[in-house]
Amino acid sequence: MARKEVKSEITGSVWKVMKHPGDPVGEEDALMVLESMKMEIPVLAEANGKVVDILVQEKQSIVEGQILAILEVWRA
Amino acid sequence: MSWKPEIDELERRRGFAEGLGGTAAIDKHHAQGRLTIRERIAGLCDASSFQEVGKLTGNGTYADGKLVTVVPAPYVMGLAKVGGRPIAVGGEDFTVRGGTSWGGDRRKGGQGGFVEDLAHEYRIPLVNLIDGAGGSVTSATRRGHTVFPGVYGFERSVELMSEVPVISAVMGTAAGGPAGRAILSHWSVMVKNSSQIFAAGPPVVERSLGQKITKEELGGTQVAVDMAGTIDNAAEDERDCFAMIRRYLGYMPQNVWELPPVVQSGDSPDRREQSLLEIVPRERRHPYDMRKLIKMVVDRDSTFEIQPTFGRALITTLARMNGKVVGVIANNPMVYGGAMDVKAARKQTHFVQLCDTFHIPIIFFVDVPGFMVGLQAEQAATLREGMRSVYVGLQASVPMLTVVIRKCYGMAGMGTTDKNGLDFKIAWPSAEWGSLPVEGGAAAAFKREIESASDPRKRLQEIEAELRTLASPLLTAEAFAVEDIIDPRETRPYLCHFIDAMQGRLATNVGIKKRAGVPP
Repeated sequence: MARKEVKSEITGSVWKVMKHPGDPVGEEDALMVLESMKMEIPVLAEANGKVVDILVQEKQSIVEGQILAILEVWRA
Repeated sequence: MSWKPEIDELERRRGFAEGLGGTAAIDKHHAQGRLTIRERIAGLCDASSFQEVGKLTGNGTYADGKLVTVVPAPYVMGLAKVGGRPIAVGGEDFTVRGGTSWGGDRRKGGQGGFVEDLAHEYRIPLVNLIDGAGGSVTSATRRGHTVFPGVYGFERSVELMSEVPVISAVMGTAAGGPAGRAILSHWSVMVKNSSQIFAAGPPVVERSLGQKITKEELGGTQVAVDMAGTIDNAAEDERDCFAMIRRYLGYMPQNVWELPPVVQSGDSPDRREQSLLEIVPRERRHPYDMRKLIKMVVDRDSTFEIQPTFGRALITTLARMNGKVVGVIANNPMVYGGAMDVKAARKQTHFVQLCDTFHIPIIFFVDVPGFMVGLQAEQAATLREGMRSVYVGLQASVPMLTVVIRKCYGMAGMGTTDKNGLDFKIAWPSAEWGSLPVEGGAAAAFKREIESASDPRKRLQEIEAELRTLASPLLTAEAFAVEDIIDPRETRPYLCHFIDAMQGRLATNVGIKKRAGVPP
């Protein structure tokens, strides 16, 4: 297991949070959906594993590079 | 009486050159996971194709008039082949004094020199394998005076940019002149965890600014490639780097007086991908994978993405259509809804000029809501960089075939098409366009009418609905304000017809592209 920080690729806000600490995730599962420039941008898990922490709340503003979640994944 | 004794000495001298900076220095270099310059040239070029030039250069030591040894000049170069075509190739030898410059009568390369003259005179691509830190203050003790910056200038390096493909690979740590040389290229690459590039390294930074920083933090791929776009692409290791250079050269003509090579694609120009019908979600707020879309249209396995991790709101990739090289520019709806930020603008400007220089037609897959907005975007001069990309797009004389996939708005939308001559714009049924999107636009344009309505919210929705009925791309097609609306599955055959047909015209338009005026 490796710890992985999930960072935002964009500045915008958090639209919906789908996964919570302890939830298992599969590769390409949406952790949350961000909103930016009138688009809903899904944030996907890049590998199988589980959610350690979700660091943002719905409606919260976020900036590019901000850490959104921490995962434990099966590969680095 | 034969010349055997002289030939024996020649072979001995060549042996010193093969020995580079000596076994200890080579071992140390290898221990860092790096190859020597001779191994690099061998790894890059076609087998046995390297004809070295200047192998005898170096500093000889003599005892009683007899040669003891030669420390070779820290630069190895010559003529070689990649994919059967000649190139000029050279690079610093880090095992000799860290690849710092060496004072011969004629420079071998690195910044001007024989290898650049070779590329210029023979009109063949130049590959720089960079591994040097530039000037050293020790040169002053050797010369007895300090040198004026640019005594070995970039004049030839700049000239080459309009003539032949120039590729720079940063193989080690590059600072100063070699770092500058790396940037003066059409395409650059560096190796993850092994290469760094900066104007000046950590010791200078600490003395100047008091910042303590490692060379990887200062100029590794995360900064130089992903964040800054100083270097275009990152390779996994040196072997991967050579494979990428070989692949890149496969898309390039030998010089600007030729067209890029055509290959047998083995992929029918009439291929119609069923999935193109469903790739764009009907819900306008939902993004889709533009890279998948591109791959379904162009020849199978023909893409080579330039700057894949920089300016990610835009995708720029070389590709082929029915075997002919094309440059694909596409907005990426996954990042800022495809809005053009300052990095995306810079990326588009560079790629358009690259394609224009080497007569590579451009295909634009458009989904752009406009320039990026907001305080950060204004502080970064998005408007100016964005207009520069519009300017170079309009100035480019290479054909630009525009396919509007979804949004095409505002000045950024204007930058995706050159409306005259060889160029045209077609669209998918999912396309929408205008000077700005209906949302937001309606609220501003009908402000008074909305405010004075008994139910302002309802009135706004009515106006928006009304405007949307006019937004059908088919109405624009009736006016021939867009040349065609096509079934998405027809995209590949439609474009292939025109790309095949334009080859004759492209061949009449070769040579150095003149670009007058001052881009904003």
